[in-house]
Formats: sequence, structure tokens, C-alpha cells
Amino acid sequence: MGLGVLASRATRLSGRGNPSRSLFYVRTIVTKPELQSPEASSAAAAPEPTPDLPPRTPLGGARVHFPNPDDAIEVFVDGYPVKIPKGMTVLQACEVAGVDIPRFCYHNRLSIAGNCRMCLVEVEKSPKPVASCAMPALPGMKIKTDTPIAKKAREGVMEFLLMNHPLDCPICDQGGECDLQDQSMAFGSDRGRFTEVKRSVVDKNLGPLVKTVMTRCIQCTRCVRFATEIAGVQDLGMLGRGSGEEIGTYVEKLMTSELSGNVIDICPVGALTSKPFAFKARNWELKGTETIDVTDAVGSNIRIDSRGPEVMRILPRLNEDINEEWISDKTRFFYDGLKRQRLNDPMIRGADGRFKVVSWRDALAVVAEVLHQAKAKEVVGVAGKLSDAESMMALKDFLNRMGTNNVWCEGNGPNPNADLRSGYIMNTGISGLEKADTFLLVGTQPRVEAAMVNARIRKTVRATNAKVGYIGPPTDFNYDHQHLGTGPETLLQIAEGRHPFCSEISNAKNPAIIVGAGVFEREDKDAIFAAVDTIVKKYGNVVRPDWNGFNVLLLNAAQAAALDLGLVPESSESIETAKFVYLMGADDINLDKIPNDAFVVYQGHHGDRSVYRANVILPASAFSEKEGTYENTEGCPQQTLPAVPTVGDARDDWKIIRALSEVAGVRLPYDTVSGIRSRIRTVAPNLLSLEEREQATFAASLKPEVKQKISSTPFKAAVENFYMTDPITRASKIMAQCSALLAKK
Amino acid sequence: MATTLVKGTVQAIKEKGLRGFLGMLKEEGILNCIFDGKLLQTKLHTIGARLVGVDKFGNKYYENLEDTQYGRHRWVEYADKARYNASQVPPEWHGWLHYITDHTGDELLMLKPKRYGVEHKENLSGEGDEYIYHSKGHALNPGQKDWTRYQSWQPTKAQ
Repeated sequence: MGLGVLASRATRLSGRGNPSRSLFYVRTIVTKPELQSPEASSAAAAPEPTPDLPPRTPLGGARVHFPNPDDAIEVFVDGYPVKIPKGMTVLQACEVAGVDIPRFCYHNRLSIAGNCRMCLVEVEKSPKPVASCAMPALPGMKIKTDTPIAKKAREGVMEFLLMNHPLDCPICDQGGECDLQDQSMAFGSDRGRFTEVKRSVVDKNLGPLVKTVMTRCIQCTRCVRFATEIAGVQDLGMLGRGSGEEIGTYVEKLMTSELSGNVIDICPVGALTSKPFAFKARNWELKGTETIDVTDAVGSNIRIDSRGPEVMRILPRLNEDINEEWISDKTRFFYDGLKRQRLNDPMIRGADGRFKVVSWRDALAVVAEVLHQAKAKEVVGVAGKLSDAESMMALKDFLNRMGTNNVWCEGNGPNPNADLRSGYIMNTGISGLEKADTFLLVGTQPRVEAAMVNARIRKTVRATNAKVGYIGPPTDFNYDHQHLGTGPETLLQIAEGRHPFCSEISNAKNPAIIVGAGVFEREDKDAIFAAVDTIVKKYGNVVRPDWNGFNVLLLNAAQAAALDLGLVPESSESIETAKFVYLMGADDINLDKIPNDAFVVYQGHHGDRSVYRANVILPASAFSEKEGTYENTEGCPQQTLPAVPTVGDARDDWKIIRALSEVAGVRLPYDTVSGIRSRIRTVAPNLLSLEEREQATFAASLKPEVKQKISSTPFKAAVENFYMTDPITRASKIMAQCSALLAKK
Repeated sequence: MATTLVKGTVQAIKEKGLRGFLGMLKEEGILNCIFDGKLLQTKLHTIGARLVGVDKFGNKYYENLEDTQYGRHRWVEYADKARYNASQVPPEWHGWLHYITDHTGDELLMLKPKRYGVEHKENLSGEGDEYIYHSKGHALNPGQKDWTRYQSWQPTKAQ
């Protein structure tokens, strides 16, 4: 809540009573004489007819959705009539009317607790001020938000809250973005009447991510509600009563949720703060860059807060369709990996096996020379899991000009299906999953593969008691599910109608089948997808004109765009016979497959795995340093923006390939990002319509007949360690700590 | 006054010989007085004054209680005649010289802490780059802070 809004509301009160004075009115925080007897002053103010109010706009551009137009009721907020749907609370009505009510415990994505009492407003004919967050709005209610009674009530609440709150704002990490600090500017007194000793609470150890200073806690219970409702772990709770009340984990244990970092954001005070960020920076010295996350295929919207050349922290950004307002712990805390193990100079491995720093000119000349010596069939290019669409386009164009088409993106398997777009994206959409009432998860563990998708499924299961069936290795779910089996034979049983879960699918209104991208790596991938197609055809309700319940949950940020751009290898065995391998950030390919005499070029930003096999290292920029397009698992293209400068002599990925193409004598025709995007427009135009999901038309009938036999090998877990999946997270110290302490064994 | 000056000069030449006298003139800074009016003024001021003490650097502290204005009756003649400045006065004499105390520096020397008291050092700023303080971010600080905000990969484990 903006401080200015609060302050202006506090001033508006007396300005209206005496307009001539309002120009020279100086606001003081001390109690004004008229507040000494609020009843009398409000009685005097009541008969005064409401003047013509300036029209108000809802807060934050909020729109009111009327599920049923007949249920609209009208209430008056400060004399201003608003129409709201039935069932809204008084606080929501005030928000629609454009009045920001101060609050601590209320959060619109959590259940209502009503225990902070900060949102008190005056309602006509009500003997006492009412807590607006917990009070349903009734037709014709006259709500007054800036009367002396309301102000006095809030001042009283604030005084009680500040009674036991330590005066340590100068050393508090929440300072500058603290709700209590902001609201005390409007409702706090300039002196305290509390002379006793302040309460102190023992700090809890919640693990390597969340720092607790429990004395600062104001018992709003937002974190408890978040943990039980959204994260789905029963770790946090309230202990004790009265002044002995404290938030804790009951017994000494760590908070083992993959969403635990979000309690830092929702904590209105400095009780829960970020441990890696502790005492590192103040929020007003940070520059925010609105970008997206690349550690998984969800593409969570994030804000990178940087100071100079350093990424200081990562915060979520609101996007209702993708991540709502949460992000996973991996997204939030992997940023220290951006500062470690960086490649900052081009290097060439000498005859003695040691790397030598060289200039770009020399490095590119060596690469071009070796490239020309290799036969076209022996040239292979692999894009990494963090590659953006622009650089993959450039890589494919470059290698095509060299006469080869052996270029693919890691994680897509040896023989990816790029022909039918509906066969590799999440057709339902992440927010569309909320409409589903039956889930069938095939070989996917959304909790570790895409934590935000899992949060969405959990939200659905919690709200509508949707059924979840799961085929795959035993794993940890934070919602009710049925473990149907571990191998593809269970899938066959469902396809043939021999499984009890079949009736669940056929009875469901909106069933959703989610196939994990780990299946891509299997030998019998086509047979598994054929079995899923059989299920889709058998139960007509999975794919219908108004509902597409066939989903593939991808693992990496680059996968969808790579398949859209057609990064498909000519032959699946090409790497075994390669003489020249170009790895564009590919660190998770099997390096043993590369023949010993092959010349390996590694272009990337981290010295992770492939650099140890590389002959030439070309330093590139990480996602936080470049502008790049990434398509997430639901097929929504989004862009990263540079938040910090590149390190050392590193360059953008596509620029390196463009320069190399010129040295190699096959100049690519684009010199700018817009040039490369117009090239993308001819290949995959959907990648350019940012933040708009291009629906894929499902055409199962177009798929060729599959003759492959399904094997009985059980599904494997696609992600072994949630916290370390790519070069950046593997370089991160915080992620290493997390996987040591928190990863499920 | 002039006659006593001439008499003293003649007597000094007699005692030390011309070479010795010129050497003394140089040591006393009389030659510097030609170009340094401040030193000359101090020299002239010193005639008839009482030498109160000499500190360990050789600075001479004078006092004249009779025909000088009160408040200007204590002064110092620096040992270094060419480059002198106020920071050459050690702390024990500072109080006496600035009328903070009537105890001379020699009397106050015993107040100096034995274990941790460091030797007085004059302020050498402006005497050369090596004496100037440079903060750790300054380009001339030898132990300059490393402003690189990332760790680069080190190719140690070459295959």
C-alpha cells in the first residue's frame, strides 16, 4: 500500500470540513482535538449531505467480475455508490470504490483470518467499527472509511501492534518495503505510552532460505495460511495464546516446501526475510528489471533487483496466467549462481591440454578453420536448456548454411516430434488447469519439474476436490492423489479400459492428461504418446472443441521454442560420428557419446560440465544479461530483459554465432535482434506475439501409425534434484545448501 | 639592539672562524631568512626571548613575557628551516604552545602512555604520493579493492 495514499486520505478528512484551511493545512501525527470525542464529531458530520465526489477508479485497475448479474448489490463507500457481486467483503467493495484500506492479515489469495483488526471501517447503524476484511457487504450498506471513528480505531490498533514491535527498523531488512512502517506513518502516534518491557520471541530456524526475527512478528498468520493453503505443507503453525502467541514449526524442523520463499513476500513486517539477501542491500538502491525466469519451463514472471553489475535478489511479478504472484525457491534463490563459475574470456585448449585465454578474433578463426575441415555430415550443434529463441534460430541457420541439419535442443530426446505443436505444449494452459476436475499425470512429477504448475494443480484439487491419478515412480505430492502404477503398462490398461481409473476419466467433465517431458528421452516414446492418444480418442471428453485436456509438461525453458523453430536432428545417431560439435550452453548431454577425436566448441556462460570436454570456449551472456525470447510450456512466448551488464568479454549468444558465420564465410543476413526476429517470423511467427498463447489445434488423426512396442521399463524421475537442474543453479551456493538440507532423499 | 647584534656577530666569527660562522648561519636558517620573511620575523622576534625548551625534533619553544602582546608571547622556531608546518609540533608541546596549559612539553612528557603511545609523526600530505591517504576504492591505493562482482571459472582441472 502506498504511503502517499494513506497520507492523502488522512489529510482529506479535515480538508473537507474546512475547505478554506485545506491549502495551508499541515498534517501532524498527534491526535487532533476533534478526535477526542469521536462520537460527537461523527454525529455532527452525519447529517451533512454528501458533496459531489470526484469519480473514483478501482485500485490497481481491478475489474469486477459478475458471475451472475442478478446478484449485484449496491453499497456506498464514503457516499460513493458501487455495484459489487454478492458475497464480496466490505474491504473488496472499498477496493472497487478506489479506497485502499490498511491491512496486515488480509491477503486476497489466502483465506480470511481477520485477526489484525487494522482494516476497521465505520458502517452506518453498526455500534462498533467493523473489520472490513471479514465482513460481507450487504445491500445498501453505508461504509465510511475516513471518519474520525475509523481513524481513531486504526490508531488504537496500530498502537497495540507497535507495543511489542521492536524499534529496529534501521537494521531490519524489510525497512523501506514494510507494511507496518508505511502504515505507522499514517496511523502511528509520535510517542509511545508503553512503559513496560517489550515481549521477545526466540527465532526459529526455517532452513537456509528464510531468516526469522520472530520478535518482529505481529501474528497476522499470513505465513501459516500460505503454508497450509498454497504450499500444502503443514509446517508452520501458531503456538500459545495471548502475549505468548508465536509462529513456529511446533517441533524444531526446517520448512521443506518448494515455495517457502514466498512467505518472505507475504510477511507484512520483517519477521520473515530472505536469508541470502540479509544485510546485502536496501530496496531503494536496487534497480528492478521485469523479466522472466528460465530455470524451468514455466517461465515465471520475475523482477530482477540489481545494484550495479550485481543481481541482488529476485522477486515474483504478478501474472495470473502463469505464476499468479508466487515463484518457486529455485527461481527466487538461484541468483548467486550468476556470479560464480562465469566464463569471461574466449579460451582455446592448447596441445598440453591447458586452456589459454585468447582474443575473440583468434578463437573465431580457429573454430571457423576446424569447421571447414569437417565434413558437413560430421558437424553437430546442440542448444542448451537455457537458450533463447534468437540464438537457436541463429545456430540452426548457421549450421544449415554449413550444410548440416544436425541441430537440436537438449532435453527433447533423440527423435523429437516437432510436427504437431499440440504434441509438445500444455494445451490446456497453466491457468486452464483450474477448470479441470480429473488429472492423469503420466511420468511427471510436477512438484519438482514445474513447481508453479504443481501449485496450480493443488489449487484446483483444494477448490474442487479434483481427482489426481499418477503413473510414475513413487514420489511426494502435496495433495490427494492415487498412485496408479509405475510403468507404461498402467497407461496401456487405461487405454484399453481395463483400469478402475477409466471411469474417473469418462465421468469427468474436464479431464486433463499431463505427460512429462522425461518421456521424450525414452526409447518407446512414440508408443507411449500413441497410448495417450488412444486414451484421448477413447474418452471423447479429453479433447473437444471447447476443452483440450492433452498436455505435455516440458522441463526446460528452451524446449518449446526449439521445437517451434524446428531444431530436430537429421539422424539420432549423429553425435556418435561427429567430428565437430558445437555446444551452445548444452551441459546435460551425455559427453561420453562424443568421439574422442571430435572438436568441441562450448559457447556458454558457466564453467559447468561440458567445458571440461571443450576445445574452444566462447563466453556468452546469461539470461539476466540479454534480451531473449523464451516460450514456456503452455506455448506463451515471453522476453527477458538485460538487468545487469555482461561479465568480462562475454557476448550475446546470437552475436557470437553471427560473428562466427562471417569468419566462416557464410554470413548470416541479420545484424540486429529485430533482424533475427523477422527471420523467426518466417519460421515460427507465434514466438513474436509476446505474452499471447497461440493455441495449437489438436489433430491426433494426423499422427502417423506407430508400430513401436511399449516397453515395460518403469518411468524414471526426470528431475533428480529440484534445486540443481541447469548450469546456473549448479553453480549456486544457496542451491547447493538447499539440496544438502532440503532435498527429499 | 643593532650594536649587540654586530657585537655578537663579530664575537662569533672570532670564536668559530669564518667557515664555522657561515656553517652556523646555515644551520640556524639565517640564509633562509633572505627569502623567507616568516622565518626572519621569527628570528627577530626571538631576540631577547626566553628559550623554554627544545623537543626531541629540535623545535625550539620561546616565551617573551615583557614587551610582546599577551597571547602572542609563546612561539616555536621549527627545527626544519625549509619545510616547516604546525604538525611538526609534538602533542606534549601543543598544549603549552596554544596556551592550553602552562606546563611545558618536557614536564608533560611523562603523561605519554608507555605501552601504546606511538611516536609523533608530522603530517606528510603533499610530500609525495606515497604519503597521501587513498581510500580502498582509489586507483592509487596499492591494496585496491576488487570491484569485480563475479568469480570467473578457472580452468584448473584440464583433462
